[in-house]
Amino acid sequence: MAGPSHPHAMAPSRPGKTRTAPPQMPASWWSHPRIRTYLLFDATGIVYLLLGLVALRVVWAIGSGPDVWDATMASLKSPVYVAFHVLGLAAVIFVGVRFFRFFPKSQPPRIGPAKPPPQPVILALLYVAWIGLTLLFAAILAGGIF
Amino acid sequence: MSQSRDANPKKKTLVITRFDPDTDEVPKTQEYEIPVHADWKVLDAVNFIKDEVDATISHRWSCRMAVCGSCGMMVDGEPKLTCKTALSDYGDRVTIEPLANFPVVRDLVVELEGFMEKFQRVKPWVIRAKEEAGRPGGPRKSEKGTYVQSPAELAEFKQFSMCINCMLCYAACPVVANEPEFLGPAAIALGHRYNLDSRDQGQDERNQVFRGEGSVFSCSFANECSEVCPKGVDPAAAVNQAKFGAVIDWATSFVVPRGGAGSEGGE
Repeated sequence: MAGPSHPHAMAPSRPGKTRTAPPQMPASWWSHPRIRTYLLFDATGIVYLLLGLVALRVVWAIGSGPDVWDATMASLKSPVYVAFHVLGLAAVIFVGVRFFRFFPKSQPPRIGPAKPPPQPVILALLYVAWIGLTLLFAAILAGGIF
Repeated sequence: MSQSRDANPKKKTLVITRFDPDTDEVPKTQEYEIPVHADWKVLDAVNFIKDEVDATISHRWSCRMAVCGSCGMMVDGEPKLTCKTALSDYGDRVTIEPLANFPVVRDLVVELEGFMEKFQRVKPWVIRAKEEAGRPGGPRKSEKGTYVQSPAELAEFKQFSMCINCMLCYAACPVVANEPEFLGPAAIALGHRYNLDSRDQGQDERNQVFRGEGSVFSCSFANECSEVCPKGVDPAAAVNQAKFGAVIDWATSFVVPRGGAGSEGGE
């Protein structure tokens, strides 16, 4: 045992008569592949935060005139930004695939009188919607629509 | 205990957590090198040490067939039901610790009272409204007065009723480790099991518990509880279905009057 859990994890509301040792987590809790995947999933939040800041920078550039806008667009073509967006894409795909893997089982067996479709159907619908929306937004951003 | 079957039993070292509340400030470890047999479960090895090497070790066990849920321990850092975990799956040095995220009473024995309190909060029993007669949509009764349930209705919750309260899911859950108020996987799974029961009318009460302190929404869907569950209950599915139910219940509470069914019965 090494890493501490919260000192009151799973503690009773009133202490018992016997003194207890505080709850612990295994020293190697972080090294299990499943836990590492989960930590990676959590860490993608940092990538989204940075993507949000880039989006804010672009919004700020819109209101700052054509020169600032052109400079901002030029800077987004730098290798660093391109690499960062590739990282962002990888993070989105990773989280999407993980979320879609778990989402079907979070559907209750029935919602009122209605039953949700079988889990493989839900999974297929999620992927169809994801790919469809991606293509739609790509077409809009490429100027194909509007 | 299976003994004397192998002519030359292999030796393994078990590193076991020791804690005596009368003398120890913090838990320590003690190593035992013992002869092990090929068909031993981890529990067999701990029992061998208790019986033949060091009688002062404290641990819980009972049925030895993965039904009672007593013998959960951390084996090489992962929560395991030791009576169904083959010792041969591990190396020559195996670490045995008390379940993570629980206060330790002694050696491998953890404090269960906190779990029992969470367990009771979800009202794990069939709740019936006081007014039974002529209630539309209520469960059907047989001529003997028992409630009738179809196989399809049973199938909706049977998976979640298979929980043996071994608490491995609590030892695996990263939210339990950090949020003492969180109801936790097994308690929510059991509450959800009764919410899905066609005989039950206590969904309103339980959904209030699910939305209250230590709510189902603390779950970050790490899915670790389902990964370690030895009975295939899939508590992560129950917790996240309970989220869905709690949201629907909260939304419909604005348009559908509450009270009556389940609000006075059961306890």
